[in-house]
Amino acid sequence: MTKENEESKNFMQRPTTRREFIKKSVEGAAGAAVSFSILNMFTDSAHAQGIKTADGIVIVDPVKCTGCRRCETNCTAVNDGKAHPYISRVKVGQNYNFGKNGPSYNYKYGDGHLGDFTIVGETCRQCESARCMSACPMDAISVDEKTGARVIDKKKCVGCGRCAVACPYDIPTVDPETSKSTKCTLCEGKPTCAAGCPTGAIDFVPWKDVEMALIERENLIENN
Amino acid sequence: MPKYQGWAGKILRVNLSSGSITTEDTVKYKEYIGGMGLGYKIMWDEVDENTKPFDEENIIVFGAGPLSGTGAPCTARTNITSLLPANPQNLIGDSHMGGHFSPEMKYAGYDAIVIEGKASRPVWLRIEDDKVSLESASRLWGQGIFDTTANISSMMGKEAQVAAIGQAGENQVPLSTIMTNGNHSAGGHGGIMGSKNLKAIGIIGTKSVKYAADKEDWIELNESVMSIIGANNQHVVPSTPQPWAEFHDASSRWTAQEGLYWGAADQEVETGICKPEDTNRIGYRTMKAIKDLGSISEDYTVRMGGCQSCPIRCHSSVKVPELEKYGVSPYVSNTCMGFWNHWYVNQNAKSDMDNFLNKTLGAQLADDYGLWFNYGQLGRDLKYLYDNGIFEEVLPEDEYDDIPWDLYEVGDPKFLVDFYRRLAFREGEISHISDGSAQIAERWDLGDDYWNYKTNKLWSRMGYPIHHANESNGQVGALINTIFNRDPMCHSHQNFLGSGLPTKLQKEIAAETWGSEDAIDVPANYTPMNRAKARFAKWSLVRNALHDSMTVCNWMFPMVTSPLKTRNYRGDTTIEAKYFSQATGMKVNEEELDEFGRRIMTLHRAMTVKQMGTVDMRNEHDRIVDWVFEMDPDKNAFEAGTIKMDREDMEKARTMLYEEFGWDPKTGAPTAETLDELGMTEVKEELASKNLLP
Repeated sequence: MTKENEESKNFMQRPTTRREFIKKSVEGAAGAAVSFSILNMFTDSAHAQGIKTADGIVIVDPVKCTGCRRCETNCTAVNDGKAHPYISRVKVGQNYNFGKNGPSYNYKYGDGHLGDFTIVGETCRQCESARCMSACPMDAISVDEKTGARVIDKKKCVGCGRCAVACPYDIPTVDPETSKSTKCTLCEGKPTCAAGCPTGAIDFVPWKDVEMALIERENLIENN
Repeated sequence: MPKYQGWAGKILRVNLSSGSITTEDTVKYKEYIGGMGLGYKIMWDEVDENTKPFDEENIIVFGAGPLSGTGAPCTARTNITSLLPANPQNLIGDSHMGGHFSPEMKYAGYDAIVIEGKASRPVWLRIEDDKVSLESASRLWGQGIFDTTANISSMMGKEAQVAAIGQAGENQVPLSTIMTNGNHSAGGHGGIMGSKNLKAIGIIGTKSVKYAADKEDWIELNESVMSIIGANNQHVVPSTPQPWAEFHDASSRWTAQEGLYWGAADQEVETGICKPEDTNRIGYRTMKAIKDLGSISEDYTVRMGGCQSCPIRCHSSVKVPELEKYGVSPYVSNTCMGFWNHWYVNQNAKSDMDNFLNKTLGAQLADDYGLWFNYGQLGRDLKYLYDNGIFEEVLPEDEYDDIPWDLYEVGDPKFLVDFYRRLAFREGEISHISDGSAQIAERWDLGDDYWNYKTNKLWSRMGYPIHHANESNGQVGALINTIFNRDPMCHSHQNFLGSGLPTKLQKEIAAETWGSEDAIDVPANYTPMNRAKARFAKWSLVRNALHDSMTVCNWMFPMVTSPLKTRNYRGDTTIEAKYFSQATGMKVNEEELDEFGRRIMTLHRAMTVKQMGTVDMRNEHDRIVDWVFEMDPDKNAFEAGTIKMDREDMEKARTMLYEEFGWDPKTGAPTAETLDELGMTEVKEELASKNLLP
């Protein structure tokens, strides 16, 4: 996505998913979420002290990803026993056609399959100071002792959706069929999405390498 | 908890005349599975045999199946059923598209979308789970498919999946498409949507698709499929010699190799070595661009792509900056005929680059207008009409002079910019070339030479060309090409024949699967008809019907072979039954599920009998044009080096195929006994009342 495209994205009315639109209305700060710096996760330290970081995070390579979305249905097969891309912890489908920002007047040159073919898969950053965790009024999100993943305790979760609103990457999603929120658990250290990717586009990146990997990913998306 | 899983459980019915939007339970159609079968049943029950395609009374059915959206590999096909405008008798038929549309239908809660009636002004159908509405399309009408998709997505949300028609469909061009994801097109039914004033369907689904099986069993089955899957068309050997591979075959679509890249990717991506066991490299096996667009395309390939759930990426996504000078985006994605359709301009192309530009520009223009080419036939028709001076006779002089034949003569891509506009907007007499071959033969009085000229590749007087016919195992491919009312979109036989394994091994596997190694011949060295070939042909059609009903991709399934030496290259033909059982909870074995396929093919046959008003399918429907029997005059059928067929032998072949299906051996029409056996009593009674039982 070039700068020129970025600036002209207000041409289309609602370049977001329905869920993001609702969130932005609630926050009253449309646009803030998408421009959220990838580095905030390291500097936004409201709750940072003394919390274990994750062993790593899952990152989708926008060059190798071909948009088959096997990761989505593999994710929900393992975690939920059904095929349910809407609650998948890897989100590819919603960005498949037009990228993260949705169709602009210049969509043919933007991200997505109807654009320049860049597929932008979103994944959980397992933020050091996780906004989902601090937003949860039920203290249902905690740090998994084994992997460091930020995980939801389904018994405590009441499905209020505060975590979904808080996350800058739109990862936590309330399952409309169970009224419980869902988010990436890192599958006990062996992410299902990465194991099943037919192009090896999904990596489980060790925490020490995450910052560089995210910067590289951002550059690949920006420079297309 | 519902009795069955897999299916979403509801069918959405939209009547455009009354504006009514209702749902009904899917379960009453479960004997026809979904997709193709469900479409046939609704058409049988609700569309009178005298209805014409563009009549308000015609129906169009968008079908998913119990597998669509489950995430099982290769299960994102959408089957569309309606009357065929390009068939001279407007018989029933299907068009199909891949992409992400049928999964989204399921996630919204629908196994099928049934469109009835006709809107009084242009509309589009908006579906967000249970919330369904008809919206004005007054500002979308006249737009191409790309802009329509973008506009609907901007109104609904970026995650919407959209199926739309372009200007060709709006103008009721018989050869036009319905399109999703920009380049997955269903050919033949665009004009039906146009006639109903329905521009597009947009869907957002937030629900799940459930399977009856335990998740451990489900995941294990998925993994077993991922272990035996090959490349596109289930080719199981690489196209070049590789250290890990015992065999190779130049015609295989397993083209990945060292030194072959997605050359226009933002980082280096080598297709490289893709061992069968390395499931994280399955998506690189099929580097289709070099097959469809030539070696020049490597440097232009951004990536491969394809459908939801499918690890095989058969769509070539290329960036061709040179296209901008023709006023289109440089980003083009398509596969196979999407590029090859434009070959007829290429015959005169002066360079590899012009060749490449014709294919990619042709794809881009056709995908936006929504033009269809009848499996490449339109180009052959144009060449025949031009070469024989027929256009000079049938076109008004000023129109003929206005067409840039000088560009055509030199293979200049600019010809396509002019020509496709004429087709999409129905400009002038030449635009009738998009009516279909049977229609132009009558309109322009083309005579026997047109039908019997071998290079035209026409197969049937119903106006469709060969599609893996006598060139694909003689009688087997030939029979498969006679049953549908358009070119058969059947690859069950072709996938096996093209696996790339040596003939000796193929014959062993054929013997295990169809009872005798005589089921297959050495290519272009055919033997007379035999029972095993009839079983192979029937099985191919039955699996095709199952796949388009479940929906499973018939370009990948059935998997008779595998790339695994450890399995002695055997595949697994029980996968479909396992998936059906695990998804729905309705336990069936392979033979039992094949009976569902036989039921669906028999309903197609019954509908054809009803529409044609005759039981004599053998003489009225299943005919093949003369060149197939008269080609290679210095050779007889069954000599080495020819794919010529023998008339008497083909009559025997028809009889055997009818017997395999349980149809009347004389006429090829479904018998009362078979209809009873398949539980199709209501079909039997209606045919009996019309005196249409043999």
